[in-house]
Amino acid sequence: METRRLIFVLGGIFVAVVGVIGILLIATSGDGDGDGDGDGGSGGGGDGGDTPAAETPAAESTPLPERVEGELRLFGPDPITLDPACATDAGSAQYIVEIFSGLVSFDRDLKIIPDLAEEIPEPVQNPDGTVSYTFTIRRGVTFHDGSRQVTADDFKFSLERSLNPDTLSTVGTVYLDDIVGAEEFADKEADEVVGIRVVDDFTLEITVDAPKAYFLAKLTYPTAYVVDQREVGESTCFTNTEWTLRPNGSGPFKLDEWQLGQRIVLTPNEGFHLQPAPSLAQVTYFLAGGSALVMYENDEIDLTGIGVNDIERIRDPNEALNAEFSESPSLDTFYIGFNTTEPPFDDSRVRQAFAMAVDKEILTSVVLKDLVVPANGILPPGMPGFNEGLEGLPFDPEAALALLEEAGGPSIVRDVSLLSSGRGASVGPTIEAVVAMWEENLGVTVEVNQEEFGLFLRDLDEGRFQMFDLGWIADYVDPQNFLDIKLHSESVNNETRYSNSVVDDLLEQARTEQDEATRLGLYQQAEEIIVQEAPWIPLFHQKTNALIKPNVQDYFITPFVIPNLRYVSITQ
Amino acid sequence: MEGLASYVIRRLMWAPVILLVVSIVTFSLGRFGPVDYVRIQAGSHPTPESIERIREERGLNDPIYEQYTRYILNVFQGDFGESVRYRGVAVEDVILPRLWVTLQYNAIILFLTFAIGIPLGTWAALKRGTWLDPFAIGVFLLFASVPVVVTIPIFQWLLAVKHDWLPFGGGWLPSGGWEVREFLGVELGIFSKQIILPVLLLTLPGIAGLARFMRVQVIEVLDQDYVRTARSKGLGDLTVVSRHVVRNALLPITTLLGFELAALLGGSIFVETLLGIPGIGSFAFESIGSRDYNSIMAIVLIGGAAFIGANLVIDITYGFIDPRIRLRSEAQQ
Repeated sequence: METRRLIFVLGGIFVAVVGVIGILLIATSGDGDGDGDGDGGSGGGGDGGDTPAAETPAAESTPLPERVEGELRLFGPDPITLDPACATDAGSAQYIVEIFSGLVSFDRDLKIIPDLAEEIPEPVQNPDGTVSYTFTIRRGVTFHDGSRQVTADDFKFSLERSLNPDTLSTVGTVYLDDIVGAEEFADKEADEVVGIRVVDDFTLEITVDAPKAYFLAKLTYPTAYVVDQREVGESTCFTNTEWTLRPNGSGPFKLDEWQLGQRIVLTPNEGFHLQPAPSLAQVTYFLAGGSALVMYENDEIDLTGIGVNDIERIRDPNEALNAEFSESPSLDTFYIGFNTTEPPFDDSRVRQAFAMAVDKEILTSVVLKDLVVPANGILPPGMPGFNEGLEGLPFDPEAALALLEEAGGPSIVRDVSLLSSGRGASVGPTIEAVVAMWEENLGVTVEVNQEEFGLFLRDLDEGRFQMFDLGWIADYVDPQNFLDIKLHSESVNNETRYSNSVVDDLLEQARTEQDEATRLGLYQQAEEIIVQEAPWIPLFHQKTNALIKPNVQDYFITPFVIPNLRYVSITQ
Repeated sequence: MEGLASYVIRRLMWAPVILLVVSIVTFSLGRFGPVDYVRIQAGSHPTPESIERIREERGLNDPIYEQYTRYILNVFQGDFGESVRYRGVAVEDVILPRLWVTLQYNAIILFLTFAIGIPLGTWAALKRGTWLDPFAIGVFLLFASVPVVVTIPIFQWLLAVKHDWLPFGGGWLPSGGWEVREFLGVELGIFSKQIILPVLLLTLPGIAGLARFMRVQVIEVLDQDYVRTARSKGLGDLTVVSRHVVRNALLPITTLLGFELAALLGGSIFVETLLGIPGIGSFAFESIGSRDYNSIMAIVLIGGAAFIGANLVIDITYGFIDPRIRLRSEAQQ
């Protein structure tokens, strides 16, 4: 008996080993065939109904979801939320702008265009100094399910929902606090936002506390998008969010499927109200997987970004992928910030010395292989008010040393450190290069302290740093979004605690200045002072470097998150 | 068998106590740790008032014992709360699909580790004194000593870049990832080529530990009188090894199963994160980064329950492999 059992055990193990190895072998060869077929099919540009791996004997194959004709396949981040009132990150916003829509939005030239509004309203100055915008809402536009038209009442509901403290949004007040009565409502001192008035079903009047030129730009952010109040109900940013898995939006695309961590499928909204209406048959985002570049080379996705490690290969004209390479500017600025309230960096001479010791040409061309462009000022190219002629602080090691000497000599910067966000791996080429330049040109050894992202944010909030490195990406196209938000002394986003009353005055004037040229001039003046006083060392502006398949037409790499997919089409 | 039953019941009664302790420790570590999800998700747009309001509303400002009591009472009612990484989605809806992914390939790894490790250890013990023994163990020890964070890029380069044998990474995807096939009515992804890399990466280091342990056991048994007796009876080598040696050496080995399971879950965190596999390991990593408290708790509790369960099963199996244990409990009646 015992022998028999033992034979069973050993025999079982043997059979199972052979079985597993066999299955693996079969799967391997089966997959190999499948890949071959797939490549051939896509390479030939066809959706010729190839059915890969159908002949595998061991298991019945569930075929891969085949490409629909006119389908765009992308690699995407897994969104945190698809609730427009709650999203704070670009990863979530990129889906929201395709699924939902607002009164106004940006087109590809970064011009504000009417979206659900029929036209861009002229601001009307009221006797009390406030300004009203009267929006006429397009008639006949329904939510995706087609059951109901979008009305002024939906907008009032949606905007108030974003501001309502019970919704638990962190961004509602950031984007909508210019509206009269928004703060009272957000503090629960009022039952409604008095500055949002429903005149009739298709007329909405929004009153802003002062003539603010950037207000319409702020309305393009998802916080001001319209949601279907019947499905949203009492949901908050954290509870009862089931509706966001299949939201009833009004944007160019419908959310057809969201498998958490796996994929998102968008299908076109046939009745979309703007031209061009979406022409893609389907958009599939893969949310997980290995290397995006490998997926691209396997024809599994149609677009991928390129990192610093692959860029030289792609730039090689002999490389097949070179023809599919495209680059475009991005509205962002990466910088090193100083704690301007504590020694040694409360002294602008020390900050200037550090800034002038960094050779941005070497940094951008040699270290970062021209994936970025050097930054002289705060505003990125493409932003209104970008100052072509701004020279910024030059790279001048001798002057830098002299400034440092004047401020007290190298001894005052003996134990300085730079706070960086990371998980303990290499700090990356940028910071390594900058630290080496300080060492070489100033003789200063800067210690880099890497912190996990959460801790990094906390230390920025609490001012527990001497220097840090960070990037800022545009939320909307207006210089206010960079200069006022990041460097006004009272802004919560001013991590450097930079404070200059002249700059504050200029920024406040610019908020309500009506003449566009004068307004941009004010921002340029402020920027010039800021660059000279160096609370930041602006390092570079990114470019988006991407590979796009030749049959993808009119894909435009946007400089920040704006609705984009309705322009794209696939040719054979 | 009643002895066994009472033993099992006693063990089962301990399980909730252990899980309770685990939950208290994990919960406190999470809450005492710096920075919460509200601040992290506010990202670069922090407004202090709204952050404070959300903390208040979400109960993050309550004393920690109140927060814990609220949590654990909900758990007893089967409510594990909602994720914040996927805002508002029930934790089980986030975790179960990922757990399924991890379970599938880990089952293969666990199986292969034992299927290779046990014969290898036995063989090494029989070859004791020749160069083959230290050589074979040494090779596998090498894999065990190198952390997976190092072996992953090496294997990727070797198998996927230099030779185009295997896919570079690969998640659970219809395209560019694991192909899902229906097998006996269940959708499985284990028939994909993508699974080979993670299986290889976690099986190789696991084998060494098991083989070395098995080798020690076999050597010990080989020196026993009954083995000598068996040999002197004139039994063939194979019969001696299979009937007397392996059988007796296997018993302590089963204990390792539980540890292997724990090691696998730990290894999955790295392998899944670095290969982009959407399993429970990569999600654990992500949850910690985003302070998704409820998800972290659920993952730890699932892991703890699996560990306790596996050990319980092992203890019961003991009774079947070693008749003496069963006899003793029967004799007690």
